[in-house]
Parts: sequence; structure tokens; C-alpha cells
Amino acid sequence: MSAAKRVQQWATFARSWHIFDCKWQDPYESAHVIKKYLMGMHKPIYHPMNDCGDVVVCINSREIALRGDEWRKRAYFHHTGYPGGASWTLAWELHNKDPTMIIKKAVYRAMTGNLQRRHTMQRLFIYPGENVPEDVLQNVTNQIRQIRYVPKRLDHIPEEEVKNYPKVMEYPEDFVVK
Amino acid sequence: MVFLSVINWARCRGPDEFWRKRRVFRLAAHYIGRRRNCYSIAVRNVHRALVYATKARKLKKEDMKSLWDVRITAACEQHNITLFSLREGLDRANIMLDRKSLSDLASWEPKTFEALAAVAKYKLETDRFIDGQDKCHPTGINLNLKDVMLEAWLNEKKK
Repeated sequence: MSAAKRVQQWATFARSWHIFDCKWQDPYESAHVIKKYLMGMHKPIYHPMNDCGDVVVCINSREIALRGDEWRKRAYFHHTGYPGGASWTLAWELHNKDPTMIIKKAVYRAMTGNLQRRHTMQRLFIYPGENVPEDVLQNVTNQIRQIRYVPKRLDHIPEEEVKNYPKVMEYPEDFVVK
Repeated sequence: MVFLSVINWARCRGPDEFWRKRRVFRLAAHYIGRRRNCYSIAVRNVHRALVYATKARKLKKEDMKSLWDVRITAACEQHNITLFSLREGLDRANIMLDRKSLSDLASWEPKTFEALAAVAKYKLETDRFIDGQDKCHPTGINLNLKDVMLEAWLNEKKK
């Protein structure tokens, strides 16, 4: 090894595995975060031609949240190639058919199109629920921070905790709750 | 006898067809097929290649700039600082490092980069740099507007 490359620590050819919980996350926003890890853009040694991307495991893709009424408005276009082969599938229809497809397409579209994109996509694992195969889960070493805070639903909090929660005031006896 | 480069350059200048074509063929030497053997096709492709080369001189610089930005952003994220505030902090601390040096430091000397990030953070904190503004110094105090304006106001003709 030459003296100039003595301290070169470009690791490593090892891929680290990240896990991302898609619960209540916008797939189009989180795609940009996932893309960063898939392509290796979170490392200062990044270069489009060096293979430094990591593996990302997405869980809970069934629980994604789309903005506004995008479930009804957003359409996914497909063309078979034959005349009259065009079809538009709404986001909710696609999600019912395959709960992993929306996040997959979002990540695919977030990356710039080149020959590497399909190989990079091979490193993305998406699971609709929390059940991840053991051989995948045992590699995971890092969790990607969620973009959005997942609030706790009132009906998921135990009733005792709700009752014992400190109150600012009590409603008067004759107050009518709408 | 084969003449190598120097004597050929001297003879290229003339209007002689052979040498004019030869100049083009030299540039098309690494092409494939008729692109290197037929003059009329070769000259078209050589022209196009030279145009690409001219444009690429600028594009190369832009590409490198965006690559360095990606790398520095990645390194900044590790130290919980944004690229914008890093540059702002280093500028204020009078550390004039360009993108190339910063990205080199980020990958080759991560500890140095960490120190730079800490310097930038501390400088911004002492300057109270919040939301792109110095919150502790109202603008105008540093400019000494009163000194500049007072003389003009005194010289102004009053009614």
C-alpha cells in the first residue's frame, strides 16, 4: 500500500442494515430519507460510482399516511404496451392490492433514473406489518428516525391513566358536552 | 522515415489537404468503424466531440461542486449541524475552507471535521445566530449609521 493511501479507510465493503418504521409517515417524504441510506448519501465518502449504499428494511408499510385526500386523488399509471392498455389505479386501490407498493414506488421515483437504480432497489426490503423474517432482522444495526411524530390515540391509552390524568378544571354539573 | 510530432506540427499549418485531414483523423483515431476512416464522417464526429469537451469543462466543475455538497451534508448530519450553518459559522470564525477541502477533511480526517463543526456551532451560538439573523445585535449598530448620516444631516439645507 502506498504512503498516500495509508490512512484510506473507505470501508469496508460492509453494508450496515437500517430499519425504518413507516407507521403514520408520509411515503413521499420518507422516500427521500430512505433513498439517502440506500444510495449511501449519508456517508462522506459518497460517490455515484462507488458502491457504498446500505440496506434498508421498512416495516409497517400498511400503516402509511397520505396527505389530504391523496388516497382518493392520487392515481398510479400503468400501460401494458398494447393499444388501449392504459390503466389508472387509485392509491387506495393499489394499497389494498399490495400494501408495500406505494412506498416502493415512492422510493423508486425519489432516485434519479440510471442503471444503478434497479440494483439499489434490491437492497430495500418492505414488510406490510411488524413481522420481519428472523434472518433479515438479525442484520439490523440501526434505526432511521421517523420524520413525523406518531401521536398516541386516546382510545389506546389505558383507561386508568386517562382517569388519573391531572385536570385544569372540572366541567360544571349542568354543562352539556356536544 | 517516420516523422514524429514536432515536425508534423510545423507542416500542419499549410493549406495542404492531406495534413488538414490528418489533423482530424488524429483526433478521430480512437473511434470505431467509418467514423475513423472516412473523412466526411470523421470530421462531423470530431466537431461534435470538441463541442462536448467544451461544454464538459464547465459541467465537470458543477458536478464536482454538487458531489462535494452531498459529502459535506452527509458529514454535517453526523455532527448534527446543517451545511448552511456550518458554512456560516466557519465564515464568521474566519476559517476560509472551500467545499473541496471540507469534503476531503470529512472523509480523510473525520476528527478534524468534527472540530470544525464544533467551532462553527460555538461561533453561531456566541453570535446568537438564529433564523439567519443575529438576534443580539440589531442591524445598524455595527454599521455606525449615525456617524455616516450625521454629517449629511448637518450639511443639509434647512428651511
